[in-house]
Amino acid sequence: MDIEALLHKEAVDTALESTDKEGALKEMAALLPGSVLSDKQQFLRDVHARENEGSTGIGFGFAIPHAKSNGVKEAAIAVGKSPSGIEWKSMDGQPAEVIFLIAVPQENAGDDHLKILQQLSKKMMDESFRHSLKQAETKQQIIDIVSGI
Amino acid sequence: MKLVGITSCPNGIAHTYMAAEGLNKAAQEKGMDIKVETQGSIGVENELTEEDIEEADGVVIAADKSVEKSRFEGKPVLETDSSEAINNAGALLARFEAGEVETYGAKTGREKANEKIEEEKSKKKKKQNPLYRHLMNGVSYMIPFVVVGGLLIAISLSLGGEPSADGLAIPEGSFWNSINQMGNTAFSLMVPILAGFIAMSIADRPGLAPGMIGGFIANDGSFYGSEAGAGFIGGIIAGFLAGYIAKWIKEVKVPEIIQPIMPILIIPILASLAVGLIFIYVLGAPIAGLMEALTNGLEGMEGGSRILLGLILGAMISFDMGGPFNKVAFLFGAALITQGQPEVMGAIAAAICTPPLGMGLASLIFKRKFKSDEQEAGKAAVAMGLVGITEGAIPLAAADPFRVIPSIMAGGMSAGAIAMMGNVADHVPHGGPIVAVFGAIDNVLMFFVAIIVGTIVTALLANILKKPTMEGS
Repeated sequence: MDIEALLHKEAVDTALESTDKEGALKEMAALLPGSVLSDKQQFLRDVHARENEGSTGIGFGFAIPHAKSNGVKEAAIAVGKSPSGIEWKSMDGQPAEVIFLIAVPQENAGDDHLKILQQLSKKMMDESFRHSLKQAETKQQIIDIVSGI
Repeated sequence: MKLVGITSCPNGIAHTYMAAEGLNKAAQEKGMDIKVETQGSIGVENELTEEDIEEADGVVIAADKSVEKSRFEGKPVLETDSSEAINNAGALLARFEAGEVETYGAKTGREKANEKIEEEKSKKKKKQNPLYRHLMNGVSYMIPFVVVGGLLIAISLSLGGEPSADGLAIPEGSFWNSINQMGNTAFSLMVPILAGFIAMSIADRPGLAPGMIGGFIANDGSFYGSEAGAGFIGGIIAGFLAGYIAKWIKEVKVPEIIQPIMPILIIPILASLAVGLIFIYVLGAPIAGLMEALTNGLEGMEGGSRILLGLILGAMISFDMGGPFNKVAFLFGAALITQGQPEVMGAIAAAICTPPLGMGLASLIFKRKFKSDEQEAGKAAVAMGLVGITEGAIPLAAADPFRVIPSIMAGGMSAGAIAMMGNVADHVPHGGPIVAVFGAIDNVLMFFVAIIVGTIVTALLANILKKPTMEGS
């Protein structure tokens, strides 16, 4: 399994319309294909619950909302960029410009997808990776950068 | 400077690994050495070893949930959340350079002793191979059945039995006969439960029915024209067969519409049929023959070979104090109770308690050979020995294994051999003086002789082998 299996092409949005966190989460969850979510509301509730435990705004203009949820059938990632930035209660106070929404099933058969998310998380700490994602303008560019991990 | 770290977060999907990467990067910039253990949803990775922690100048814990800290005692420990490590790892590490981090508190000897036991146990768990884990899952569910069966039968025989031509017999229709039948019921459930929970450990719930049905068939020789049945060995084999067959069927890809009925219908039926038929037509009779040979062999054992068996079992019980060797010997004894051979468990029950009792005694008498925290552990060991928990000796053995393990093995072997010679029998699968209190021991006097001799041998040998401590106390 590699990251392409988790990042569906239609789940990338280079210009999110929402200007707040709740709207952005809803918008991005709608990007995920039907095979991923069995219960979108449940998934969103679990994502919010995770946000309430501590913001997933990691700083540097990045946020990675995520949840392990019964509303998820198979693991997947959605990527959204917000041109104006969205307030995410990040550690460093910066608004989130690049958002990774991560969906993981509550009960999972193997941990392949977790390994990929682990790599993605590590990569997130790499400045050049973050820089190129911020610069990316098209869906394909984003997919190429993320697939390169 | 060398540091170790732990990162963890609520879901264990992202922050755990970002925090670890943040710490690694910051350490690299500062020219520090760091090893970070990640406790994420994949499980623990890059696990810190005892040496890692020993060599470290400090510990940084970046976690959003509680992390076990006892292993970092005496080290400067800095606790923070994962986002600090993601955004400000450099500043965190600088606090170690400035010497601002406080040392994590010390504990009493007894707390340490208990932690040491837990630690050794969890270490063993991690090292366990899956076959052993499945087997032990089955055994742990089976034990209460053997306890209930063994005690009820022993009590009904001793209180309601009347001497007859073939030994004690309980009159038909009497109250004690009912109790005796209850005990027999518990025994007849033992093998199905063992097989069922082995299978369940392998294949989850769909494995339970095939395992129990397979176990029942294995245990009942009438299915395959044998008088004795394949007993607990048959049960173990049935459990593993059922578990792996169920697991294998589970992995077959089926159309989505059939999926919901797989775990409750398809898997149990197919796996039960497979295991049942294999036992009836192939495995049942040969394994039953093997069991018969084993029980006949044990029955026919005379002086010398009985003592040898006692020595071997005593050595196995004490060698790893609750580890695989101990458990195998224990399972052997427990299974033989139901085959009408409680003498084997008698030897095991005596050897089970001598490691903690003997080391406890040694730490109380020969004080200069034991550090003060070991003496605390010794008191706890005595208490555990009395209730038959061999693990009580672990803190003392872990501190000085090459001197302690030979001592406890010698003690366990003496206890096992004496109990065998003295015809001690134990009707429940548990050891230590506590079982005598419950009336499950035949030949109580020899049982205690075995325990006392084993305890004294252990303590004396430990005193001879161990060197005085450097500690002033």
